[in-house]
Amino acid sequence: MVIKIVINNKEIQAKKGEILLEIARREGFYVPTLCYLKDKSYPKNPCGICVVEVKGEGIVRSCNYVIEREIEVETDSPQVKNIRKKILENLVANHYGDCKAPCHTPCPGGLNIQGYIGFIAQGDFKASLALIKEKLPIPAVVGRVCPRFCEPVCRRSLVDQPVAINNLKRFVADYCLEHGELPLDLPPLNERRVAVVGAGPAGISCAYFLRLKGYRVTVFDKEEEPGGLLRYGIPSFKLPREVLRKELGNIFNLGIEFQGGKVWGRDFTLRDLKDRGFEAIFLAIGARKERFFGFQGEELAESGFEFLYKFNKELINLKEYEGKKIAILGCSYTALELSRVLRRLGASVSIYYPRSRMEVTIPQREIGYAEKEGVKFIYVTAPWILEKLERGYRVTFVRTSLTEKKEIKPLPETAFEEEFDIVFRAWGEAPSDEFKNFGDLEAELETTAEGIIKVNPQTLETSVRGVFAGGDFAHGAKTVIQAVAAGRKAAQAISAFLEGKPLKKALITVKYDFSRGKRAEEFDSNFLDLFVPEERAQLKERDPVKRIHDFEEVLIGLTEEEAIKEANRCLRCGCLGIHKCDFREIIIKEDVGVSKARKKIKYAIQKSHPLIEVDLNKCIACEKCVRICPYEAIFFRVVNKGTPAEYITFRFTERCVNCGACVDVCPTGSLTKKNLLVPYSRSEAHAVKSVCGYCGVGCNLTVWVKNGTILEVTGRDLPPNYGFTCVKGRFGFEYYKSPERLAYPMIRKDRLREFERVSWDTALEFVAENLMKISQEYGPESLGFLCSARCSNEENYLMQKIARGIFKTNNVDNPARV
Amino acid sequence: MKALDRGAKCIVADPRRIFFAERSNLFLPLRPGSNIPLLNGMAYVIIKEELYDNEFVEKYVENFDSYRHYILSEWDLAKASRYTGLKPFLIEQAAYLYSQAKSALILWGLGVSEHRAGSYTAMAAANLATLCGFWGKPGCGAMPLRGQNNVQGVCDMGGLPYVLPGYQSYLDPTTKLRFQEVWGTSLPDREGKTLPTLLREALSGKVKGLYAMGYDVAMSHGDIGVVWKALSNLEFFVVQDIFMPLSGKYAHVVLPAASVFEKCGTFTNGERRVQLFEKAVSPPGEALPDWLILTKLAQKLGYNWNYQSPAEIAEEIGRVWPAWKGILHSRLKERGIQWPCPEEDHPGTPILFTTGFPKGKIHLAMAKHIPPFEEPTSQYPFLLVTIRRLNHYNVGSMSRRCPSLKKLYSEPIIDINPEDAKEFGIYEGARVRVWNDRGEVIFRAHLEERVPRGQLYTDFHFETALTNLLVSPGLDELMETPEYKVSAVAISLLS
Repeated sequence: MVIKIVINNKEIQAKKGEILLEIARREGFYVPTLCYLKDKSYPKNPCGICVVEVKGEGIVRSCNYVIEREIEVETDSPQVKNIRKKILENLVANHYGDCKAPCHTPCPGGLNIQGYIGFIAQGDFKASLALIKEKLPIPAVVGRVCPRFCEPVCRRSLVDQPVAINNLKRFVADYCLEHGELPLDLPPLNERRVAVVGAGPAGISCAYFLRLKGYRVTVFDKEEEPGGLLRYGIPSFKLPREVLRKELGNIFNLGIEFQGGKVWGRDFTLRDLKDRGFEAIFLAIGARKERFFGFQGEELAESGFEFLYKFNKELINLKEYEGKKIAILGCSYTALELSRVLRRLGASVSIYYPRSRMEVTIPQREIGYAEKEGVKFIYVTAPWILEKLERGYRVTFVRTSLTEKKEIKPLPETAFEEEFDIVFRAWGEAPSDEFKNFGDLEAELETTAEGIIKVNPQTLETSVRGVFAGGDFAHGAKTVIQAVAAGRKAAQAISAFLEGKPLKKALITVKYDFSRGKRAEEFDSNFLDLFVPEERAQLKERDPVKRIHDFEEVLIGLTEEEAIKEANRCLRCGCLGIHKCDFREIIIKEDVGVSKARKKIKYAIQKSHPLIEVDLNKCIACEKCVRICPYEAIFFRVVNKGTPAEYITFRFTERCVNCGACVDVCPTGSLTKKNLLVPYSRSEAHAVKSVCGYCGVGCNLTVWVKNGTILEVTGRDLPPNYGFTCVKGRFGFEYYKSPERLAYPMIRKDRLREFERVSWDTALEFVAENLMKISQEYGPESLGFLCSARCSNEENYLMQKIARGIFKTNNVDNPARV
Repeated sequence: MKALDRGAKCIVADPRRIFFAERSNLFLPLRPGSNIPLLNGMAYVIIKEELYDNEFVEKYVENFDSYRHYILSEWDLAKASRYTGLKPFLIEQAAYLYSQAKSALILWGLGVSEHRAGSYTAMAAANLATLCGFWGKPGCGAMPLRGQNNVQGVCDMGGLPYVLPGYQSYLDPTTKLRFQEVWGTSLPDREGKTLPTLLREALSGKVKGLYAMGYDVAMSHGDIGVVWKALSNLEFFVVQDIFMPLSGKYAHVVLPAASVFEKCGTFTNGERRVQLFEKAVSPPGEALPDWLILTKLAQKLGYNWNYQSPAEIAEEIGRVWPAWKGILHSRLKERGIQWPCPEEDHPGTPILFTTGFPKGKIHLAMAKHIPPFEEPTSQYPFLLVTIRRLNHYNVGSMSRRCPSLKKLYSEPIIDINPEDAKEFGIYEGARVRVWNDRGEVIFRAHLEERVPRGQLYTDFHFETALTNLLVSPGLDELMETPEYKVSAVAISLLS
């Protein structure tokens, strides 16, 4: 019997006996629930957030409200909202976990660090690299030069030492340079052209992400080889040329054009580029203007930055520096790289720095490497006067102290003199604005008070439409990972610009991100007790005595075993159920913040099930797992639900058949799959329709794929399985990436020989020839063709067609007997 | 399971007390190899007590009298009880429970098929359904729970020596013409050979070349010692697979294929439901989908095959087999379709025989009992039954390579009754040797109450324990399925 009901003033046809919640969902009204399971019993303590207001009856739960007569319903009246909020606040107060791993937040590149470490822990290095490359196209470079914003916040440092995140990244990058990567899902090139000026990390990253979207990109650079600072600023003992060449080669091979030796302002202007059909331009020429400290005679010193460029272009007479006494003024990256190059050229090198060692803005370990190589550091000492002598230089130094504003205050009374063969200045670099007079469009480019090109911080677009700028050129000298991030951001903005669409804004969810504790002092140490201290993996460092005689790489990467072991040190802070967390979605929708969340661990994490991890600190006691389980394999009790005294007892019984239905139905990260170590969101994965490849039931599956890797498999709510699968359906997909997979055709003339790898052409010709020969010599009846009960219908059809249609034999059979 | 929740009744016949036995209304722990005595015994009760659907039988059955005579004269309850080891009242109860239901379904697994009388057993089961009129209605019929994901499909597609795709006869002139038109070539008219025959003829030297796609003959066949000899005798042997199969040892060519996640196509499940699977990831290295390998091979053989996608092949199948005409990939994006599906807007056929039977009348088979090829002897006192473990699959090439599944079950185990174990000094986890004249295999022992005395149960999922070496050379009389379920072996503790 059809009954008219009204939901939020909209008239709806319902059937008598239907459940109100079902109707609301069917009709597209938002009614949240955390415990409702269609066709299943209700939990003893329902979640209650599916409440709605029925006119004349008041607030009711829609999940068990059966339609008997015409009613009027409101799904989001203030009272409804209020009740929901109260319930959710109670759930929040009992929730203890990290939605996101702490390491994720500070990374300028936005890498899924926990995810790529998770893949390494499983030995899936290629998938790990693909996940990194989603955000960072030059991981072998960054894995060598990153200042590691992530490691200081790594939770593991509360147990022993942080996970060696950057070295793990370097490991997978190097591994894949050697063993190849997973194939990219690359769209064909379209006809829309973008110019990138500057082939440094920002420019290359921008070109890479534009290419992934199908745009035709040309990268211009004033040098003959791409890389910018990476190629000409960083010495090979830190970043081997071969690594750089290979990594950049892989990017340009995707179909990105490189034009070297082309100088902006000399060989082309922005107008020229536009006239040549480039619809958008990304400027990323880096920061090349030397900074000065400001002291008398400073201009007489040689430029450290220029020296490095010349050295890396092999324009330096190497013999010239042997045995020379050299001063470097300043402790920038340039200063350090320079000092270490000069040591290798046989010079004695001192770095003078006006502040203390702790104030150096680059990582302390970089200073350590230089110190080991014999570079002397003189801190709190500033140059005062520089004089050029007939041979060499004389520098007057003064000791320094700090003003109240922490500015450097020279102490003239401490002045002392020192003579050197050569003096370099190396205070760092800043962007230049010399482009202003290159052409008419350039003249329109606005700059800031400091003379840096002005860009919209969201889109990186300059004051000229279609011209974007980023990297060191636009934000001043920063790190490589920041330049990469800028390049990626520009690529997104340029793509939006070309498509005429607004830039998608990232949702800011910090307010709803549960955290076990942001600072060490607010962290519950009982949680840390769950982990056993283990030594952090260290890179092997070549002996300084030997290494200063060559330009080979100083640090030797991790081995496979070391990497896997190190990856397993990760505490896996970030929630591995975040992709299925209805709870999170609902609190965001209902705007319930998580500041009042529990800060103490209440339950030890249960790891005894072979495939499923149980973290009751995240359990909301919806009992979905208990109710979905067809095997009565879960023992579950909750007392004082929804109060601070709530206590949950949960365990798997011996009836468990490991099917995993409970995990997929769990609306939080309380139940997670042990083989899924990558936090992800369902929107960033493809849901591929599949059918189980094991038995003849033919369960419908959804395969969740990201970057060419299967993350997990879930059941589809369709006949014949209606969402259920056995253990093989959900967990039996892993074989596809076994290293034992056959990957190349192989043949041999006789069984005494080993197989040899051949091309498909050779293999198939060999097959065709031999089958033909047998058929001609002994007749078609001497051949047999076996179809497969594991191959598709189409494939089996073709197999029997070859037998019958080509060889004219009915000798076709299949494994139905097995 | 849902059906049981809703109150459906369930009879379980299995020598072991399996999971479903707990949930059944009646559990029949029959002796291995006595399926036909049980089914015919039930038929005896149904006929004797006149429990059958008289109207249905009169309307559709052409030889009821002779069948009635056969059952009543040959299969009295005492005999059925003797063979099965079941008390007569249990068989009686089963017959009542089954025949008096409003609707009833007979499901079976390899415990029916993998016997010398496997085919006759299927017929005996179908006879019961016919007697009770359990055809053409929801929740009725008799069907095997198919073991492999596309074993239904491979048979549908003509992967059989005696029929063309769609079980069509190569002797039928209209069919022949249709194929010749679509294929543009003539068809062979001599009946083909089954694999067991091919292997026998390979041994004798008559069969020279074999091409095996996704089928590890050397590991999965029964009595594989003989299979190995046959394969080594081939002049040319091609294997095409996702992992190096055991058969690779005898092969001249190994072709790397894409797995189910790396290609698209359709599988047909045991309910004739054709379902589409889509490509999720790329195959490793240079591996290719099987359809593409075969297409390229045909080109090398000088044929102008030009399939661009499995969807195109599916369309061609619909042209040679009318019941598949409506099975188009574009229609399968959401959910599967059960054939017959003769038109492009046909919804498919969930239930067969709703309006009668293809040949008009049903002929009841005189299902005869054939005892197993082997019986336990004093030398080999145990009856070995091969089974599958939930956590693994068939020859295990896929499931053994899943770390998660391996965690659950990582080595070959043989199940033995605790009393028997005690007698032979075998303890839980002990390494044991199991052997007969055909070979010997090492397992770890598991003491299992559910296993009846005198029987041993194990799988063949592991390359390190080639159980099929021990399997009896017995074959199903009609279909030549190896008798995986009954072999005589001896067991002893490995010191």
